[in-house]
Amino acid sequence: MKRIGFIIMLTGISLLAGCSQITVLDPKSDTGKDQAYLIWLSLAIMFLVLIVVFILFTWFVIKYRYTEKRKYEIPVDVIGDKRLEFTYTIIPIILLIILAIPTARITFEQSPGTEAFQDAEGVEVNVTGKQFQWDFEYENGEEDTNKLVLPEGEPAIFHLKSEDVVHSFWIPELAGKVDLYPHETLTYRIENPEKGEYEGKCAEFCGAQHANMTFDVEVVSEDEYEDYLDDL
Amino acid sequence: MEMFENLADAPSDVIAAWIFTAIAGILVIIWVLKKRKLPVIWEYMRTTNHRKIGTMYILFGFIFFLRAGIDSLFIRMQLISPNNDFWVFQADKYNEVFTTHGTMMIFFAAMPMLLGLMNVAMPLQIGARDLAFPYLNAVGFWLFLSGAIVFNIAFFLNSAPAIGWTGYAPLSNSLFTPDANTDFYVFGVQISGLGTIFTALNLMVTVIRHRAPGMSFMRMPLFSWATLVTSFMILLAFTVLAIGLYLLMFDRLFDTKFFQGPDGDPVFWQHLFWIFGHPEVYILAIPAFGIFSDVISTFASKRIFGYASMVISIILIAFLSFTVWAHHMLVVGLGPMLNTFFAFTTMTIAVPTGIKIFNWLFTLRGGLIRFTTPMLFALGFIPSFVMGGVTGVMLSVSAADFQFHDSHFLVAHFHYVILASTILGIFSAIYYYYPKITGLKLNETLGKWHFWLFLIGFHVTFFPMHITGLNGMPRRTFTYDAGEGFTTTNFISTIGAFLMGISILFMFWNLVKTHWENKKVGPDPWDGRTLEWTVDSPSPENTFEPMPVVDDLNPLAKAKNENRKMETTNEHRSSPIARDSIIPFLISMTLGVFGICMTYEWYIAAFVVGAVVFAFFILRALTDEKNDYYGKDEGGAS
Amino acid sequence: MNTYEQELFRDKQLGFFIYLGVEAVMFLTLFTTYLIYTPSSEGPQPADIFSITTLVLSSVFLLSSSGTIMISEQGLHTKNHKKIITWLFITFLFALVFLGFEITEFVGFVNDGYGVSASSFLSSYYALVGLHAAHVLFGCGWMLVLFIQLSGIKIPFPLFIEKFKIFTYYWHFVDIVWIFIILLVYVKYLV
Repeated sequence: MKRIGFIIMLTGISLLAGCSQITVLDPKSDTGKDQAYLIWLSLAIMFLVLIVVFILFTWFVIKYRYTEKRKYEIPVDVIGDKRLEFTYTIIPIILLIILAIPTARITFEQSPGTEAFQDAEGVEVNVTGKQFQWDFEYENGEEDTNKLVLPEGEPAIFHLKSEDVVHSFWIPELAGKVDLYPHETLTYRIENPEKGEYEGKCAEFCGAQHANMTFDVEVVSEDEYEDYLDDL
Repeated sequence: MEMFENLADAPSDVIAAWIFTAIAGILVIIWVLKKRKLPVIWEYMRTTNHRKIGTMYILFGFIFFLRAGIDSLFIRMQLISPNNDFWVFQADKYNEVFTTHGTMMIFFAAMPMLLGLMNVAMPLQIGARDLAFPYLNAVGFWLFLSGAIVFNIAFFLNSAPAIGWTGYAPLSNSLFTPDANTDFYVFGVQISGLGTIFTALNLMVTVIRHRAPGMSFMRMPLFSWATLVTSFMILLAFTVLAIGLYLLMFDRLFDTKFFQGPDGDPVFWQHLFWIFGHPEVYILAIPAFGIFSDVISTFASKRIFGYASMVISIILIAFLSFTVWAHHMLVVGLGPMLNTFFAFTTMTIAVPTGIKIFNWLFTLRGGLIRFTTPMLFALGFIPSFVMGGVTGVMLSVSAADFQFHDSHFLVAHFHYVILASTILGIFSAIYYYYPKITGLKLNETLGKWHFWLFLIGFHVTFFPMHITGLNGMPRRTFTYDAGEGFTTTNFISTIGAFLMGISILFMFWNLVKTHWENKKVGPDPWDGRTLEWTVDSPSPENTFEPMPVVDDLNPLAKAKNENRKMETTNEHRSSPIARDSIIPFLISMTLGVFGICMTYEWYIAAFVVGAVVFAFFILRALTDEKNDYYGKDEGGAS
Repeated sequence: MNTYEQELFRDKQLGFFIYLGVEAVMFLTLFTTYLIYTPSSEGPQPADIFSITTLVLSSVFLLSSSGTIMISEQGLHTKNHKKIITWLFITFLFALVFLGFEITEFVGFVNDGYGVSASSFLSSYYALVGLHAAHVLFGCGWMLVLFIQLSGIKIPFPLFIEKFKIFTYYWHFVDIVWIFIILLVYVKYLV
């Protein structure tokens, strides 16, 4: 029994260690970090549940298996156990409440929408998706295709709209995604992106070349950003 | 004809499929003629018996499962390495394959196999002699098959839909997919959905009104409970889908403005689709829960732990499943209020599901666990499903879902829950009920090979997919670059997929071997606990003669423990009236032809074919099988 | 009906009520669709095209047909074939008159250029009201079959009672849907 617990622990630890290399779990913006925090928190709580189930499962299956010795046993019928059932109703509820509170807080901060981030300050970019390319329009009215440049440290505010079908704007290293629709403009914000080069992609299936509807993202210093805008 | 236009430049996979189908078709015809099976086929085409219809449901569901499974192997081959070009499966060909894989697995593989099992087992479990409306049952089955054929024809005409099984507008509108491809999706799913609604209605009336004497609701086996609840969900969910498809059809054929134009709203399609789509996930899972409850109880030789809370949980899950649909739409921009609301409702589903998991575990405690093949599938389900369940809770965390959404993490999650529950459940039930269906018991050794290979293959495929997704791979993409960190995990996933494929070969071998040896078994090969194990194997057309009296949740086990036979009675309600008829087959197939006419916008032909459908309707109304049974006793209370 | 028939009738009754539940969900979805899309930003507004006269006239015929079918149903208890046939026929005629008004209304709209594709409002209007009209038409065909079953091929009378009762449920349901159409499709935008 102890050995199985140890193996589970070991795989758990090695899994967690491996996770720090994973893109989404090691994000490069504050928005992404909040999301990663939620992922870690839910993973931790769920790991607890998983371990309890695995241990009970292994224990019961091994202990109560059919053996020649038990051949003629007739198991006692147990109707149920109110207290036990109550326990495994209440504990999940408590765990879920622990998870629900930060979920609500961060969701309220981050949710994209038609009326989201109206008063927010930051670098505004109009994003237009169409089969199968991305257009980015900056504050000075200049446009670039399939290349997005952002200044580091400043909140980036995206106004997203599609020209044809539904697309989804996603830069895994920075933060989660948001859809683009032909009939309305959504607004999304990424806080405090860190310097670096990232890959953006379309995450909502949009037709033949959906897989190739990608764009390059560069987060640069304030000066480089100004230079880039001037060069457009 | 425009129907065959796309065939002129058919890619090699379509040609290969034609050749394969032609050869297989000829072989089947030769076999049928040689073995003189034509009368059997004719019998099954006209049957209204629940076991026979259930068998056909399972058989055809399994054939479509194989096809959709082969599609998944194509998907995995294309994704095995970065920038890969496997056969023809790039760009729109790849999109066709995953659309077909998803649509077929959900509508034409999982659904019919579950409905088939309900058809076979539920009446036997509750002591009903047949479904309440045997004729309607045949109509429901043939409608499913007709819709499935319509959908499958698309591929053979090189016109398979490429819009994802979710058919998101406006990509599914005629502006972006003007060809017949998407219409095949619309009509194929619509026709089979109609059949599903009829069958659900039928199952529901059967459970409510045809239980044996003494079989109160709280003595009903959990699979029958699952059937009742699932049927109720089907009636609500599939109806909403039917209207969604109805509106999409109008948009495509008559240029209406539901999902396109200045006031059209693509998000409305998503609402309609997911109001169907989320309950659908539980429509697939709840019957499997029922199967596992019965299987675990049988092979732990113990009644199910916490029966009442099991029943309440499935009812709660069913109810909650209608309140969570927008968790598929958290990145649609519904705003923080709705995002949070749907996150919370989604989390609450974990509670009744958790109760079920622990009840199964505590059923095992104190039991005498026999590791038969059905039980292995049930035991494999518990940890696997819990892994899918916990990622489900993670996905419900709305802000985190901005990252998970539409990535391979999501693909891993839903395959974990659907495979672990539905597919393992179906396999478990096929092994469990095979004696009731055919009178034969499948080979246990080969069954265990099937189980272990499938279970290992399943985890090898889908566990790494979580990481692929967290590394940033979106779903429904046919290629990726070497530097993106997707290479290793994708390679492992492909190996796992082939392990699952090999496991199916073992199942095949098992089927062949079992029928070859043809060793009949008695009514009760598993030491069962409930009514279905009191009738002969395979179940005869006139079951429960005389009618048993039920005095417990596990009446057969109780009788065995007390060393007595079950009590019987001759006092029972009137049985459903059954008479063989070819009309259900004809109605359904004609409706399928109607669908194809509409697909190609041959409206005159569609009108004529539609009139034929109604003519069959009238013919049926005038030759009702009840004609021979009613009015025999005019002195009655008329 | 004897007990044997009674039990089978109850099965069918329950089955059909469930089926009407399915229909109700269908219409509920279409009503929702209509309310979401009406009024549209382009094309005509509901008040511009709906006519109260047509609405009142067609409603009078359809709603009173629920009454005539009930009179016909009374004939079942006394096995009065003449009463059943006469009032069923009147119901049938009323349904046809209703359909006449509907079709005239639709044709008028289309002639004014307001077909299904004119705006989202009209699309949802036709999808909903058209489906209801199709139900009335189906009911007409059903009544024809009932005529044949009573006086043509003469099915057993208890079976006829069963089939007739099921039809009356259908017919009342179609009428109830129409009441909702009056309120939500027409009156809401006319008043």
